[in-house]
Amino acid sequence: MAVTPRLTWLEEKSLRNLLGNASLSLLYKGSVHGYSIGDMFQRCSRQGTTMTMIYLQEETFGVLMLGHIPTIADGFEKPHISFCFSLQRKGTVIQIPTSFLNLLKVTSDCLEFSSSDGLIFSVYPEKNLLSLHHLLVKQLGLQSYSSSQFLEYEVFRVEGIKDDPDCIKMMMTATQHRRKLLADLRDYKPHADLVSNIRILLLGPVGSGKSSFFNSVKSVFHDHITHQAPVGSDNISITEQYRMYSVRNGKYGQYLPFTLCDSMGLDETDDVGLCLDDIPYILKGCVPDRYQFNPCNPITPKHPNFITSPSLKDRIHCVAYVLDINSVNNLSSKMAAKLKQIHEEVLNCGVAHVALFTKVNNCDEVLQNNLLNMTRKMTSQSQVMFINKMLGIPLSNILMVGNYASEQELNPVKDVLILSALRQMLRAADDFLEDLPDDS
Amino acid sequence: MALTTRLTWLQEKRLQNHFGGKQFSLLYKASVHGFSAKNLFQKCCNQGPIIIVIYSENDVTGAYVQHSYQENREVPIILFVLQETEILEYKIGSHIPEILIYDRYLPLSDFNQKRLDFKNPSAGFCIYLRHKVVAMSSKVSEELGLPENCTASFQECEVFRCEDLLDKRKQEGVIKLRRILLSEMNTYDPNEEMVHQIRILLLGPIGAGKSSFINSVKSVFRGHVTCQSLVGSDPTGISTKYRTYSIKDGNDGRCLSFILCDSLGLSEKSGLCVEDIVYILKGHIPDRYQFNSMEPITSRHPNYIHSPSLKDRIHCVAFVFDASSVEQLSPEMVAKIKRIQKECLFDIGVVQMALLTHVDCLDLITAGDFPDIYSCVPVKLKLEAVHRKLGFVLSDILVVSNYVSEWELNPLKDFLILSALRKMSWAADDFLEDLEIFQ
Repeated sequence: MAVTPRLTWLEEKSLRNLLGNASLSLLYKGSVHGYSIGDMFQRCSRQGTTMTMIYLQEETFGVLMLGHIPTIADGFEKPHISFCFSLQRKGTVIQIPTSFLNLLKVTSDCLEFSSSDGLIFSVYPEKNLLSLHHLLVKQLGLQSYSSSQFLEYEVFRVEGIKDDPDCIKMMMTATQHRRKLLADLRDYKPHADLVSNIRILLLGPVGSGKSSFFNSVKSVFHDHITHQAPVGSDNISITEQYRMYSVRNGKYGQYLPFTLCDSMGLDETDDVGLCLDDIPYILKGCVPDRYQFNPCNPITPKHPNFITSPSLKDRIHCVAYVLDINSVNNLSSKMAAKLKQIHEEVLNCGVAHVALFTKVNNCDEVLQNNLLNMTRKMTSQSQVMFINKMLGIPLSNILMVGNYASEQELNPVKDVLILSALRQMLRAADDFLEDLPDDS
Repeated sequence: MALTTRLTWLQEKRLQNHFGGKQFSLLYKASVHGFSAKNLFQKCCNQGPIIIVIYSENDVTGAYVQHSYQENREVPIILFVLQETEILEYKIGSHIPEILIYDRYLPLSDFNQKRLDFKNPSAGFCIYLRHKVVAMSSKVSEELGLPENCTASFQECEVFRCEDLLDKRKQEGVIKLRRILLSEMNTYDPNEEMVHQIRILLLGPIGAGKSSFINSVKSVFRGHVTCQSLVGSDPTGISTKYRTYSIKDGNDGRCLSFILCDSLGLSEKSGLCVEDIVYILKGHIPDRYQFNSMEPITSRHPNYIHSPSLKDRIHCVAFVFDASSVEQLSPEMVAKIKRIQKECLFDIGVVQMALLTHVDCLDLITAGDFPDIYSCVPVKLKLEAVHRKLGFVLSDILVVSNYVSEWELNPLKDFLILSALRKMSWAADDFLEDLEIFQ
């Protein structure tokens, strides 16, 4: 007599990916272990975070319960953070809309979950009955009526995730937030249509992740890992050409209205890495796509492809200083001096600018659990204060991402960070455009 | 607060493989749920076959209950000890599993005087949960290679449900995913305005499995294993000619939108000329060109393609390595590969990936692991080693298991092969998109 889940393997994969590659262990199955609350608590208490799956006629509903299920089977009511969700099949993809709940009430025949803003659902195991508030039905995209008979009830232990409610809330809602960010960015139009395309220049030391950031942005819009910009692992700059990378909205989509301009990496040694005299020309828009940089000789107006009269659309509208968060506090004085020198040029040209920290490992700690703002912990990190002081960049324009480098699949929290960073760059560029003199 | 097993991945995997390709779900952990037989039974009864694991200072021992543990039902039980390099086991026959767990309180003096009270002497193994002591008879100790009359204190007791690693549910999932991938690759279409077919070049040391991978891909789309002798190989099967293989849809014979290009293997001294690789990448070398280790092709060769178009070029390069020997590549071979990478990367701009074959030869890996292959510790370690040694981006290192001796297709292998192909097609798309801007 095998005790196997009704949850399909593909559904399980989607849930595990959502939770940051957690694993699930079946603890309780109603049709085997008995449809009573006592039976369920007996097997599921003190097992850590659990996921309950309730299988309706044609849909699947779930509850993620953080922390131990209490051992007391008699009636009680207490705060307990949960997330309910449904599994929505869209073609070959499974989407998982989610709602947050924070109160659990148990009686002899009923489990009731509710939130402070009135959402509520109840499970009556012995009656095989699930009762859902109509707003929940709508939020989770269910087709069922508010009260439904269920076919099966299963509880899994969730392993390999943090028990921090904020972290879980972020993971459970990241997919929805990602979708909204994508939609906003796809609909983005530069300020007052002054230009059709925003140019963002990526500048930074060798190996800081400039090309990886472009690859990560493209990966998010294409829904799989991509590698258009070459990425190396040796400690020399792979990028030797000036590249203007556009991003399509999916494989056959329209080009999006921004271009990421990738340049040769900076090196603290003179005559190695990007020549500082090239930078004013890049900013003004004189350097053509695919120009081969020379560390010793900047481009000159005599170069055959030099753009002699760049217009606003050719200019750089935003500069992103790309820095490895793990080494920024150890920048050599020469590299710091170079960055300051570059920054003076950027300020002289009046170009918008942000700092972008890469190689952030704990992506779930960067943003508040509503995914809208950076956490205080992040804004007070020594790396952030270091750059804030060194270059005078406002805290809200110091951005953080974990580029895709070792993952096989996209992760919604990482995607949110990447898209948020891109959005901040576009906002900064809009500020720049808005501030231009009228005669530009 | 997280509930996790004390077993390392490798320990768990060895046990799982030993008992027939299982996977484990932790149901009970004494330090969390209480050192109480009642609690153990509560959580573990009616859960299917289970395995009880005892952790003492020096040993990991336990019992495998082969059929579903239900109250008062006799089932076959196997005792085991997990040693450094092997798992010793002793079949004690059929018993009620409850006999393994002693529930009654015993005065401490009984242990001091070594007066043990087995519920059933023929079992010879008893776990005194309350006292955190496990007792074994002389015979059991002897069979398991443990000290005689072993009465050992233990720190932890865990009980797992044992399920087949490749259960019906997972098999169905893989079959469905395979169908999706097959359909995706059957309908795959590079940017139509540029080329109708992408070219994927396979490079790698002799014997890495390049030709075998091509045959495996052909097999997947044909619907049964093909072991076509590839024209262009010498009598031992080693490729000596440049070959471009179109892959046909098994149903209607239509050529698919990707071509796999095979070449002479790399070698420290002979093998493929690095200069020839540049010509291959740019599309100058015709199908069936006979390579010469000593001399690259020249434009005077009668079949040299003087003005290759985009369709003649290579759009993605996959370096093929045998997973079990990639870490033993000689320094000369590594240097050669790095030189190729640099010239590919800097001069041509083509995307390069690594393809590791024979993934099922890695320690403890079985076909049942294929669905989640990138989560397996030995695979992760191997990918990290390849990343460090050869510089490939981790997400661009793919693993497959080629068809070598089989007659019929296996959805698990197909899943890996098709996943790798899809990654390569995405890489080629990236390459083409980069070119498009230029034109």
